[in-house]
Amino acid sequence: MLSHKHGYSIRLIIGCMISLAVLLCAYGIGSASITMGDAYRVLMHKLFGVGIPERINPSQVSILWSIRLPRVLMAFFVGGALSVSGAVMQSVLQNPLASSYTLGVSSGASLGAALALTLFGQIPFWGSLMLPVSGFVFGLLTVLTVIAVSSRLDHNVKSTTIVLFGMVFSLFVNALLILVESLNHEYLQRILMWQMGSFSGRRWFHVQILAPVSLIGTLVLLGFHRELDILSFGDEQSMAIGVSTGSVKRILLILASLLTGTAVCFSGTIGFVDLIVPHAIRRVYGASHKTVLPLSFLYGGSFMALADTIARTIISPREIAIGAVTALVGAPFFLWLFFRKRG
Amino acid sequence: MDIRLNNVSAGYGRGSTYVPVLRDIDLTIPEGSRIAILGANGSGKTTLLRTMTGMLPYEGQVFLGSNELKNMKRREIASCLAMMMQVSETYFSYTVRETVLLGRYVRIKPGRAASQEDRSKVEECLRITGLTDQADHPIGALSGGQLQRVFLARTLAQETPVILLDEPTNHLDLKVQSDMMEYLDNWSRELGHTLIGVYHDVNLALAMADTLVVLKDGQIIACGSYDEIRAEGALDAAYDMDIASYMKKQYERWK
Repeated sequence: MLSHKHGYSIRLIIGCMISLAVLLCAYGIGSASITMGDAYRVLMHKLFGVGIPERINPSQVSILWSIRLPRVLMAFFVGGALSVSGAVMQSVLQNPLASSYTLGVSSGASLGAALALTLFGQIPFWGSLMLPVSGFVFGLLTVLTVIAVSSRLDHNVKSTTIVLFGMVFSLFVNALLILVESLNHEYLQRILMWQMGSFSGRRWFHVQILAPVSLIGTLVLLGFHRELDILSFGDEQSMAIGVSTGSVKRILLILASLLTGTAVCFSGTIGFVDLIVPHAIRRVYGASHKTVLPLSFLYGGSFMALADTIARTIISPREIAIGAVTALVGAPFFLWLFFRKRG
Repeated sequence: MDIRLNNVSAGYGRGSTYVPVLRDIDLTIPEGSRIAILGANGSGKTTLLRTMTGMLPYEGQVFLGSNELKNMKRREIASCLAMMMQVSETYFSYTVRETVLLGRYVRIKPGRAASQEDRSKVEECLRITGLTDQADHPIGALSGGQLQRVFLARTLAQETPVILLDEPTNHLDLKVQSDMMEYLDNWSRELGHTLIGVYHDVNLALAMADTLVVLKDGQIIACGSYDEIRAEGALDAAYDMDIASYMKKQYERWK
């Protein structure tokens, strides 16, 4: 038993160390003409007050500390939050393809963002404030509607009911989005840019919101690791083992949607991370959620930080949409997963 | 713990799509009984098990001891009744040991780790079901019969005074079938625990139960010992065939 416990701690420690290494790498690499060494000197200076050489000018310090580091951290926390939420959704809905997006978080958030852009886009301060707020509210409203209607249709909230109604309702919300877009052609490009996702321009302010939400959310969900294990066996078996499926499912779905909603409203709808990271973790470390949740957070965050580093450096000074990078890696991985099952 | 059903009706769906399955069921199952529920396909056997565990909404009353099922929490029900269901596929490959440990769910306090007692109970259930060697295998790699044993082990790990079995011998080879059934038989006799089973195999039902409950079209048409049931001709009526002559014909080959 002792070795078992040790194995768990070692996995977590290794995960933390790899994440830290990835974060340092992502922070060190960038388009501005600053060497990696200088980047770390600035970091040491900011964190521990170590002096920096004179060749590093204040604008470089500000690029590294106020622009690049918060951006890297944002990517990490968004990736972590999305992956944890994906793992939870897959288990609760007993569907390896499920994610918060299945319940309409992304279409809701996109509609919210589109409305914010068209209504407040011209107003400088309100525009940038309303965008994440409206995205978050609409994303969450969509999920809550799906959960509320599914609960009314069937008291035990069967997974097939949720998935089916979630799909139907997201298509409906998507249609509303297209309507908003077609009535407001002048905003089309900005809406599309938002949907593709980006971490550009994220500041410490954003990190201060997302970091605690994603960390606390993950820890609370980790408290449900046994319920998550049990729920993936299906509703009847869960009831027989003693889980109040209806209420536990509702709590878990709302928590997971909160995580996704917070992540998505700052970054746009980034797909595939929530799908592939939990699957990869399960394949390597087994399905137990006690392991899957924390490792999904760490490796999902690392994956996103790396993907964002690619997005901002590969055709620098221009950027690729982060959603494109994750999907370019994600789609082949997904195919591989699919064909592996057949074989 | 006695189980009592008073005038219970249950079914699936709601409103205009409601399909009634069980009608006016009255049944008392005293502590320590060994019950077999028999009946043709669609007669409501599994629905009866589901109703007893509170998985289906029902009309009428179901009592576990002195508690009405509707007023009990899932945790309370699961500490009285363990139900082994027909095996369904799962996409997520837990190890055999992890899966059996889930049966201890209601005994582990929220936020706590499994105790030494939980772990040794799991090992015991693995040993009983002959799974010790496969304990660290992922359940995705098991055969149907092995998976059935994992679920039986998980049901035993719940350590409840009542066990409900829904066609427990599905996928099991003959040897494992007879070992498992012998174990459950001893389990109920020695501990005075209640064993309620839905069996497709009438012979198995006769071996495992003192009392037979015969269902037809959602109603109990007979309830009693084998001799009583046979005298009434209820089994023949339930399956709409002459069971005795069928069994004798089968038996001829083994003479």
